[in-house]
Amino acid sequence: MIIHENRLIHEIEILQESFAKTTTKLIKDVKRQDKIMARSDKRQQQEYDELQRKFAEVEALQKEIEDTQKEVVFTMGAIGESRSKETGNHVKRVAEYSKIFALHYGLEEKEAEMLKQASPMHDIGKIAIPDAILNKPGRFNENERKIMDTHAQLGYDMLNVSDRPILKMAAIVAYEHHEKWNGTGYPNQRKGEEIHIYGRITALADVFDALGSSRIYKEAWSDERIFKIFKEERGEHFDPKLIDIFFDNLDEFLSVRDNLRDVTD
Amino acid sequence: MKNLIFEATKYTPEINLDAKGIISLVGKSYPENTFEFYKPMIKWLEEYFEVNEFGTTTINMEIIYFNSSSSKLFFDFFDLLEENCEKHTITVNWIYDGENVSAQEAGEDFIEDFESLKIKLVEK
Repeated sequence: MIIHENRLIHEIEILQESFAKTTTKLIKDVKRQDKIMARSDKRQQQEYDELQRKFAEVEALQKEIEDTQKEVVFTMGAIGESRSKETGNHVKRVAEYSKIFALHYGLEEKEAEMLKQASPMHDIGKIAIPDAILNKPGRFNENERKIMDTHAQLGYDMLNVSDRPILKMAAIVAYEHHEKWNGTGYPNQRKGEEIHIYGRITALADVFDALGSSRIYKEAWSDERIFKIFKEERGEHFDPKLIDIFFDNLDEFLSVRDNLRDVTD
Repeated sequence: MKNLIFEATKYTPEINLDAKGIISLVGKSYPENTFEFYKPMIKWLEEYFEVNEFGTTTINMEIIYFNSSSSKLFFDFFDLLEENCEKHTITVNWIYDGENVSAQEAGEDFIEDFESLKIKLVEK
């Protein structure tokens, strides 16, 4: 008996072959896909490591730049002060007072911190004042006083050429720290809020520290005497709002003064 | 057959498809839609191998950075080359910078996967 092979078998065999081809291709594809994924994961890991390394590097560089800037700015302030018969920690105290004023006045932390760094440069213009005038022991005559007063404009001119925000701020401070609230200061007799808040703050911080410090030519003023004159000059020499801030937060100012007391005091 | 040139962009390589038999891909490859981006290239190649069943083609690939879908696409691309490499003489130069380990490893993977294809690793 001859049994004819069922035609179906042939068809199934064709299917089988095609199925084998397809599955082989599928396996190949899946393997390839896995390989790509594994490679990709490895690459991503390396890239992310690299990225983190780079970020850390940039951060360190940024810090380096900021530190250098702070140092340069502080040194510039110290140079200015060294020519203005101020000594010791004057620059540091003025910086701290300025920040306290700025914060209570309502400036943002970042801006207040910047003012802290910029305010020590208020007298930088004095580096351009001749020694004969700067170091004159007695009182200035009218002409000498005029020359002396140019240090505000000189400081502004030196600093304002920079595009750096902190130096721009320092330029304002240098320019306006001798203006008075009632318009009798110099160099521009600006009045009230025409004087930038940076100028008003530094003016008060500088005077507070100068009065309270002893110098070769003068004794330190007592607190009572300083407070009395501040009350008298409220709205005259000084921004009344800043005088109020001063008295409302006296402890903060005095604690800075204590912490940064001059060694010779 | 017309040559086809794609200028490099921030995310895609420069592609130069020269019907005289020189094909080059140079740059980075991490487009948002990889398969969409390479579609015209693949279409051009299919047509190219149809027209030039026999012939000689050199492919210079210098890809410094690529995402995983580009990697997948390059495998597909090499599949297409392999399908044609019996009659058509194809040489692939996988060019990489010595410091770019990822690019080197990718080249090694291609060699491993495409045994019948002539892929040369060329360190710059």
